[in-house]
Amino acid sequence: MNLRESIGIALGALRANKLRSFLTLLGTIIGVMSVIAVLSFVEGLNRYVSQKLLNAGANVFWVDPYGFVTSQEQWEEVKNRPPITLDDADALRQGVPHAALVIAQADGQQTARYRNKEVKGVNVRGRSAGWELVDDYSLASGRLLTELDDQRSRLVCVLGAEIAEELFPGLDPIGKWVRLGAENYEVVGVMERKGKLLGQSQDRFAGIPVRTFQKYKRERGFFGITVKSVDQASLPIAEQEVRNVLRGRRHLGPRVPDNFGITESENVMQLYRTLTGGIFVVTIGVAAISLVVGGIVIMNIMLVSVTERTREIGIRKAMGARRRDVLTQFLVEATTLSLSGGLAGVAVGVGLALLAGAITPFPTAVSMPAVFLGITMSALIGVFFGSYPAWRAARLDPIEALRYE
Amino acid sequence: MLITIRGLHRIYQVGSEQVHALNGVDLDIEPNEYVAIMGPSGSGKSTLMNIIGCLDTPTGGSYALKGQEIGQLSDDALARIRNQEIGFVFQTFNLLARADALHNVELPLVYAGVRHEERRRRAREAIELVGLTDRMKHKPNELSGGQRQRVAIARALVNRPSIILADEPTGNLDTATGEEIMTAFGNIWRQGNTVILVTHEADIARHAGRVVRMRDGKIESDTRQAKPPSAAAGQ
Repeated sequence: MNLRESIGIALGALRANKLRSFLTLLGTIIGVMSVIAVLSFVEGLNRYVSQKLLNAGANVFWVDPYGFVTSQEQWEEVKNRPPITLDDADALRQGVPHAALVIAQADGQQTARYRNKEVKGVNVRGRSAGWELVDDYSLASGRLLTELDDQRSRLVCVLGAEIAEELFPGLDPIGKWVRLGAENYEVVGVMERKGKLLGQSQDRFAGIPVRTFQKYKRERGFFGITVKSVDQASLPIAEQEVRNVLRGRRHLGPRVPDNFGITESENVMQLYRTLTGGIFVVTIGVAAISLVVGGIVIMNIMLVSVTERTREIGIRKAMGARRRDVLTQFLVEATTLSLSGGLAGVAVGVGLALLAGAITPFPTAVSMPAVFLGITMSALIGVFFGSYPAWRAARLDPIEALRYE
Repeated sequence: MLITIRGLHRIYQVGSEQVHALNGVDLDIEPNEYVAIMGPSGSGKSTLMNIIGCLDTPTGGSYALKGQEIGQLSDDALARIRNQEIGFVFQTFNLLARADALHNVELPLVYAGVRHEERRRRAREAIELVGLTDRMKHKPNELSGGQRQRVAIARALVNRPSIILADEPTGNLDTATGEEIMTAFGNIWRQGNTVILVTHEADIARHAGRVVRMRDGKIESDTRQAKPPSAAAGQ
């Protein structure tokens, strides 16, 4: 008995009974679809997050009063800690030999104006010189913020590409004065466009020296410090050095815990993994249930099919079909059935993932292992749940089968 | 000898009762015989046919086909013999409803492991032989009863079996079509095939060269007809 014959019979049966086939395969379709859709979504997030975290720079950690807060209780504990100051940043620059960069920073939201144009909700970034290295921007035109800008608290700014376009359409912004909140800033540079991140533009910002921020916009954000270590190996050393410096400045005794927080991208990664791990487990659970249900439905329909086709089985046996020929035929049929469901599920799942990627800010990437998993699972389900009906068909007595009405 | 049957018994267990469907049958059939097995229902003729066709195995006695004892063979070995040695023609045609005539005729070749092109070729030849070349692509429900039975005959012939076994082949056909089918069997026999016909109609049985009458699981009479079957076939 050749495979082609069996597959042909199975596909013929599928076509002959479209609605029944669809209903039969619904469980499998939904199971495979949900695996593909969710895993593609998670995969997209994965790529995105790891890419962003890598961008934020290897060997970077973040110092602020609070650390990595993941719950309300934790926040209650840390919310009254003393702030990080610019003097802290200066002290770190002096006292942390393994730091390549120490960037003090604070962020606020303000409206930017130039003549009759205005852009609301501009992200005003107070930054030490060299910030573009950790925030991953490059200069498009003009110049960067310098050490001197900072020391003198100059009213200068660099603009994100989107703000620059909206405020200065067709004009060169360099040298123009733009109003951020209550003060006017001279535009000294425009940064290269970076695109969207989770649907949020990354180019709607104005960067100003961190001391300028402190002088004029202190109330608009708290200070934190990004430290970039010399290399990967020196990251923990740099962290320890930061801890020593800050504890010294805050006169913390040996048994008193830190009253500031140090967050590595690794911490963020961990939380992220926990979150997506949860999604993963739930999806696998849902998929497993629908696949088992789908398998049982397939088994049921195959049992019906064996009964309906008792006479056909008798004919085939009379013509010389052996038990294994009949067994193979029904196994192939069940597998073809479930595999069709699997492929339909993959198609719908991939479609959903791509659609979600297109119409929502969330990135999706079709997860090839998930596609593979879906197809393999559906085939295995066909074999597993098709075995019993196929075995029933194979052991039918030819005479009784031929007499069956 | 093609078929050698000695002291054949077939006992069915129906509830607590034992039914002796065959109760000591002796029968020899030579190659290229045309034998009709007759008898009223319950006489054991269908059981005998099933055993000759290797669809069933005896509970006692021996049945040798081309010298090979059938009684002790496994299911798969029996399937092999049905495939290679037996061509069935049934009263109810027993064609696959979803397959066209050509594909139905191919079926024994599929299980014989014949390759696709070769299968096609031989199936076409067999269909040509029963004069249905123009109906090859039709499904059974698009064919008349006589045409269906001719497809079944083509299917029985396609693997060149030792025996054509026909169980009431005209039972579902009108008289004229029945005669046509019997003519076809006559031709098959004349081409050197062995034909065994099971029927309860004397009109049909008279086409055969030898009539075996059964009653109560035994052979009542075994007569060779004076009239040569070729004449009786009514050409």
